[in-house]
Amino acid sequence: MSVKETVLKQDPPCTSTLGNYLWRDPPQESKWADCVHCGMCLESCPTYEQTGEEQQSPRGRVYLIKAVAEGKLFVDEHFADPVFSCLDCRACTTACPVDVDVGGLIEEARGQIRQSMPLKGWKKTVNRFFLHGVFPHHNRLNSIGTLLRFYQKSGLQKVVRKTKLINIMPKHLREMESIMPEVKSCVHKKYDSVIKANGETKHEVSLLTGCVMDVFFSDINESTITVLTRNGNDVCIPRNQTCCGALHVHAGDREMGRKLAKQNIEAFENAETVIVNAAGCGCMMKEYTELFRDDPEWKKRAESFEEKVVDISKYLHDTGYEKPKAMLKTRITYHDACHLAHGQGVRQEPRDILLDIPGVEMVHMPKADSCCGSAGIYNLTHPEMADAVLKSKMENVPDDVEMISMGNPGCMMQMALGVQKYGRNQKIVHTVQLLDWAYQKEERGSSHGSPKD
Amino acid sequence: MAVLKINTTDKHIINLANIVDGPRTILYKKADLLAYDCDGFTIHKHLPKAVVFPKSTEEVSKLVKYCSDNGLPFLARGAGTGLSGGAIPINGEVIISMVRMKKLISIDLANRRAVVEPGFVNLKLTNSISDKGYYYAPDPSSQYCCTIGGNVAENAGGAHCLKYGVTTNHILGLEVVLPNGEIVEIGRNGVLDEPGYDLLGLITGSEGTLGIVTKITVRILKNPEGKQTVLAYFDKVEDGSQAVSDIISAGIVPAALEMMDKIAIEAVEAAAFPVGHPKDIEAVLLIEVDGIAAGIEEQVNQILEVCRKRNVREVRAAKDEAERERWWANRKTGFGAMGAISPDYLVQDGVIPRSKLPEVLSKISQISKVSGLRIANIFHAGDGNLHPLVLFDARKPGEIDKALEAGSACLKACADVGGTITGEHGVGIEKREEMRFVFKDEEIRAQTNIREVFNPNNLLNAGKLFPTPGRCVEIKKELKSLS
Amino acid sequence: MIIDGSLSDLKAVFKGIKLIEEDPHHPLGNSGRVTILPKTEQEISSILEYANTHKHTVIIAGGGTKRGFGGLLEIADIQLSLAQYTGIVEHDPGDMTLTIKSGTPFQVIQNHLAPYNQKIPLDPFFPEAATIGGIISANDSGPKRLGYGAARDNVIGLRMVYPDGSLIRSGGKVVKNVAGYDMNKLFIGAMGTLGVISEVTLKLRPIAKYESILLISFPNSSLEVISASAVKVLDSLVEPISLEIITPALAGKLTNTNQYTLLISFEDVKSSVHYQEDVIRHMMPEKTTIKSLSEHEANSFWNTFYHHQPHVYTNVSATEAVLKIGVINLDVIKLLQEAELIGDSCHVSIEAHGGLGTGICQMAIKGASADVLSAIRLVRETAVQLGGYAIIKHLPFSLRKEANVWGNKTASQFLFEGIKQKIDQNGILNPNRFVGGI
Repeated sequence: MSVKETVLKQDPPCTSTLGNYLWRDPPQESKWADCVHCGMCLESCPTYEQTGEEQQSPRGRVYLIKAVAEGKLFVDEHFADPVFSCLDCRACTTACPVDVDVGGLIEEARGQIRQSMPLKGWKKTVNRFFLHGVFPHHNRLNSIGTLLRFYQKSGLQKVVRKTKLINIMPKHLREMESIMPEVKSCVHKKYDSVIKANGETKHEVSLLTGCVMDVFFSDINESTITVLTRNGNDVCIPRNQTCCGALHVHAGDREMGRKLAKQNIEAFENAETVIVNAAGCGCMMKEYTELFRDDPEWKKRAESFEEKVVDISKYLHDTGYEKPKAMLKTRITYHDACHLAHGQGVRQEPRDILLDIPGVEMVHMPKADSCCGSAGIYNLTHPEMADAVLKSKMENVPDDVEMISMGNPGCMMQMALGVQKYGRNQKIVHTVQLLDWAYQKEERGSSHGSPKD
Repeated sequence: MAVLKINTTDKHIINLANIVDGPRTILYKKADLLAYDCDGFTIHKHLPKAVVFPKSTEEVSKLVKYCSDNGLPFLARGAGTGLSGGAIPINGEVIISMVRMKKLISIDLANRRAVVEPGFVNLKLTNSISDKGYYYAPDPSSQYCCTIGGNVAENAGGAHCLKYGVTTNHILGLEVVLPNGEIVEIGRNGVLDEPGYDLLGLITGSEGTLGIVTKITVRILKNPEGKQTVLAYFDKVEDGSQAVSDIISAGIVPAALEMMDKIAIEAVEAAAFPVGHPKDIEAVLLIEVDGIAAGIEEQVNQILEVCRKRNVREVRAAKDEAERERWWANRKTGFGAMGAISPDYLVQDGVIPRSKLPEVLSKISQISKVSGLRIANIFHAGDGNLHPLVLFDARKPGEIDKALEAGSACLKACADVGGTITGEHGVGIEKREEMRFVFKDEEIRAQTNIREVFNPNNLLNAGKLFPTPGRCVEIKKELKSLS
Repeated sequence: MIIDGSLSDLKAVFKGIKLIEEDPHHPLGNSGRVTILPKTEQEISSILEYANTHKHTVIIAGGGTKRGFGGLLEIADIQLSLAQYTGIVEHDPGDMTLTIKSGTPFQVIQNHLAPYNQKIPLDPFFPEAATIGGIISANDSGPKRLGYGAARDNVIGLRMVYPDGSLIRSGGKVVKNVAGYDMNKLFIGAMGTLGVISEVTLKLRPIAKYESILLISFPNSSLEVISASAVKVLDSLVEPISLEIITPALAGKLTNTNQYTLLISFEDVKSSVHYQEDVIRHMMPEKTTIKSLSEHEANSFWNTFYHHQPHVYTNVSATEAVLKIGVINLDVIKLLQEAELIGDSCHVSIEAHGGLGTGICQMAIKGASADVLSAIRLVRETAVQLGGYAIIKHLPFSLRKEANVWGNKTASQFLFEGIKQKIDQNGILNPNRFVGGI
C-alpha cells in the first residue's frame, strides 16, 4: 500500500508555509514524497538496532520531519532528539527501494532546529569553538596540533595519565584521549603547492588535505601523495582550501557550511579532479548543490564542482595504478566507511586495491557497511549511543586479523577506540597507506621487515 | 539511551512503565508516538496511548494482565511492515512492541528446528544457519526487516512458498500470552500433532487477535543441492498463463513461478534493476526449480519445451548465478519500481485458481478501463496469487477513492471465480469489508465466536480482520458503479 | 436419549434416508442405537439439526477403520455413517485441486486421480476402507509425511456441517489464503467433535515419475550406529520422501529380516532417484544389507505396510492396541529402543516404526489385556520423559477408559473446552471422543 498520506488528510496542503518550519531552506517535500512507509530501512539503522524505537528509525524520522511540515508537530526538543540522534550514516538510503534521501532531510531538519532553538551555555561554547573557531582555520588547527604534539612528546601525556589528572575529564573524552593519534607535521607545511609525478605526468589532480586529516593523520595525506605521484599524477594542493563543512552541516549550521563550500569551490575552481581521502569530506563535497538550492549561480558552480570530486580509491581504480610487487604478508579485514559505501557507492574499489597487494589476505567482516559510531562528532555529542554502536561493530570484527582497513579518518579514530576498549589488537589503517607501504617495501627490496611498525 | 524520566500524571503510563525492567521502556509523548500511528498500510492512522518495550514473556504477561484488568485496549507490534494495517492502533491501543525480544534462543540442526523470540528478524535466521547449509523457508519480500513474530501473526508467504509452503507450514511450537495474561505453550518442544485442537494452526495467521506470541519454534530446511532459473517472454498474456498451468500439470513443482505483465515490465525496466526485457512483450515468466542437481536439467528442458509449445518468443535458463540474481532483483523490487512510472500505487493481494488467470486478467483490464486508471500485474502465478497494482495520482481529486474502488473490484473479480481476497498480506483493516466477498455472515460469526474464546473482552487488537456490521450495502453500491 | 418410541418418530422425519437398526453392542464401541446413512449434505444438515434440537448424541462414522480410536460412549443415540455420501465434487487437473465428499474412500480417489498423474499427497493406513473425512478428522499420516506434509499442509478448504445444522465453509479452492482465521486447522484432527466434514478440498501433487525404497538392515548394530547413519542421511543433500526406522519385529513381518531397518524412499525423476540411492549406498556402514525396491515392488511393499496395523476386533484371545507417539525427531530411536525393553518386561509383542524427520511413531502392541495396558503406560511415560506424548489409536472399548486415550490434560485444555462449547453447546457430536473428555 502506498497511498501517500499527505493527500489524504483533510487539511489543506501546506506547501506555501511548510507548516511549522519557520526558516528558509526547510526539508524538501520532494525528498519524503517517495517514502511509502514500507520499513525496509529499519534494520539498516544503527539507532533502531540499539533502541527498537521507530522514532529513532529512518522511516520514523522521515515521518516526523513530514509531520512538522504538516503542522502536526512543532520544532521543539522532542522533535530534536530523534533528528539529532541520527548518525547520518546513510545506510537507510542504500536499503531504501526508492532511494529516499533520509540524510539530506535530517540535515535540513537540523538546520531548522538550530535556528529555532539555538544552542545555549556550555554546548554553545564548545560547538562554536570547534565548528567556527577551529576547523575552518588551518593555522588554528595547526596550533592545536602543535599543542597536542607537545602534549604527547613532552611527557605531559604521561604525567597527566599517571597522576590521574586525566580523571577530571568526562569518561568518553578520556577514552578519546587515549587513542589520540600521534600528531605529525602536516603536509600543508611540508610540501610545495604542486608535487610533480614520478616520471611522466599522466594526470593533474588536486588534493583536499582536510582539516582534521592534515593535523591528526598527515601520514595518510603523505601516503596519498606518494601513491598518486608514483602513478603518474601531479598533485596540486591549493593553499586557500578549507574544511569541507560536513561537521557544520551535520550539526545544523548550514550557513557556515555554505561559507566553507564557497571557499572550496573557489579554491578548486581550476582543478580537473579533486581527490579526497576522507569519505566524510568526499560525501559532503559531492552534495554541495544541496546547500545552494535557492541560489542559482552557486548551485551551478556547485554542480560542476561535485563532478570533479572523487575518492582516492575510486580514482586509483578507475585510472589505473601499478600493482605492487612486494609481499605484504598480513590478514586484514575491511570496514566500509558509511560515507564511502552508502554516501558515494564506493565499495568494491578499495577491496580490489587491497587484494592487489601480494600477500594480503582479506577476511570478510559481517555487516562491514554498518556504522562504527564515529559519525563526525557524534561520538562526542552522543557518547552512549556511539559506544553501543561501536560495540556492535566490534562484535563483527573477525578475531584473527591483524589490521582493519578503511577510508575515513573519523572511523579510524573510533575503530582505534574500539580496538582498545574491547581488548582487541588490530592495527587501524587507511587503504591508501597499505598500498603506499607495499610500494615502499618494493623500493627497499624484500629483505626488509614489515613496514607495519 | 539515558534512563527515561517519566513526566506525566497518567497513572496507567507510570504503572505500565514500572512493569518493565530497564531504561527507556515506554514512549508516551506525541512526537514519539507519531511514528507508531500506522504500519506499512498508511491510509488509516491513529495514535497509540503508549508504546511499551518488554524483554521477557513474564513482562508481556504482566503488561497484558494490566491492560486487561484496567480495560485498556492493546496490541502487539513487530517491525510494522504489514501491508493491511494489522498493527495500527485504531482504538488508541497500548502498543506492546516486541522488537526488543529479538534473541535467537537455540538452533538444533539435527532435529531441524530453531527457537526464536518474536522480534527476531526473518532473514537473520537464514543468515545464522546458511553457512551450515540450512535456511528458513518463508521469504516475504520484507524479510530483511520483518520479524518472525509478525510473520506468525500474518501467516506470511513469499516468492518461494509455492513449493515450500507459507509460515504456518513451518511453525512447530508457540508460547503465547493470552489476552488475560495467561501463558500457554502450544506444540511443546516442537513435537508434531500435540493432542487437542490445532491451536498452532489457528493462532498462526490470526493477525494478533487471539494472543501475543512470545516464543516460536520453527522448522528449518536444508539448502537444495541445485537451483536453476528460466526466463520466458510471451507476446500474449494468455500464452503465458497457459504455460504456467502446463508447467504445473506437467508434474513439475517449481520453487517459484512469477509473472509480470506489460505495465509491470515497463516499471521494472525504468527502475533500479533493469535487465533489458523487451518493451513490446505482454508477459514475462520467471521460473525457478530446485532440488537434486541430477534431476534439474530434465525439469528445465521440460519447462523450455512447454514454453515453446505456448508460442514463447524467447526462453532461456540463467547462464550463471549473477544473471539469476539480476533477474530476481528486477522482480523483487517490482512494487517499489512503480514509483518510476506513477506517483502513487495501491497493491492488492487476490488469489485465484491458476486456470482462471486469463479470465481474471481480462476482468482486471476491464476494471482498469472503467476506472480510467492503469493497473499493473505482478504475481506469484504458480499459486495464483495476484498483486494488481493500481496506479494513480493522489494529487488529483477523487483518484484515491477511484483507486480504492478499483482495488476492491479486483478482489471481487478474484472472489467471483472461486478465489480469495488475500493470499499473504492479511485482512487487517484494509480488507475487512471485502471479507464479505468470500464469507457469509454466519461464517464470519463462526470465526468471531472462536475469537471470543481467546479474547472475550475484545481488548486485544479489536476492529481488525472482520467487517463492521452494516457496511455491506455501501460496498455493493461502490462496486456497482464500477462494473 | 433415543427411546424406542422416538425411533419411529425419527423414521418419520427422515423418510428418504437409510436407517439401520442392529445390535448396537460392538467390542470397539462407538455405536449408535440407530445408524443413519445420508446421501446429501442437506440430509446431514437436517439430521444434525434434528439431533441438536432433541439433544441426541451423534457418533460419526466413515469406513470404520478408526472405530477403536477414542470414545468413551459405547452407544450413542445416532451413528451418522457417511459411507453413502461419496463422490468427486470437482477435480480441476489444471489447478491441481480436488473437492470430494467426505465419505469417499481414499483409494477410490487415488484411482480417479491416477490417470491424470496426480495424487493426494497423504499416505494413510487402510486406504481402501478409510474415508477422506475420517483420515482428516483423525489426522492420520504415514511415512511419506516427511516429504509431503500432513493433512494440515494439504487441505485447503472444508465444508463443515455444524451441530445446529448450519453450513460453515473454511478456506477455499486456492492454495494460498489468509482471509480470516485458518479454521481448516481447527477441524483437522478434531475427531469429529466440532462438526461433520461434508466436503474436503485438497491440493494435489504430481505422481512422481519414479519411486524407490531402500531398506537398510542393521545386523546386531547398536542404535548409536543406526542413529549416526540416519543423521548422515539427514545431513546429506538427498531429499527422501520418507525416512523411517522399523523395529526388528515389524521388519520381520514386512521384509522377512528380523533386524532394525532404515526405510528410505525417494520420488523424483529416475536419474535423481538413482543418484540419491547411490549417495545412500556410499554412506552406510559395512555389514548393513541394502535392499532396493522400485516401482511395482515398492507399491507392493507400501501395500503391506499400510495394512500391518490392527484396526478391527478379530482376535479374541489377545488384546491389540495401536499407539501414535510424538517425540523430537531423533528421539524416535531412543523411544523405539525403550519400547523393545518394555515389550520384553510386559510380555507383549511390539511392532513399531518411527519417522526420523517427523518424530511420529506408530506402535502395535499385542498381548494379555493387563500386559497391554502396562505396556501402554510405560511407553507413554517414556514419551513424556522425552518431551512428547502418546495417544491410543486403537483399543477395545472396554479398556479405553482405563487406558486414558489422550493422556493428561495440558494447560490449553480450557481453550479446547471453550472452542467445543462455542460450536457444540449441547455436546451432541462424538461426546467424550477427544482429549480431556471433549
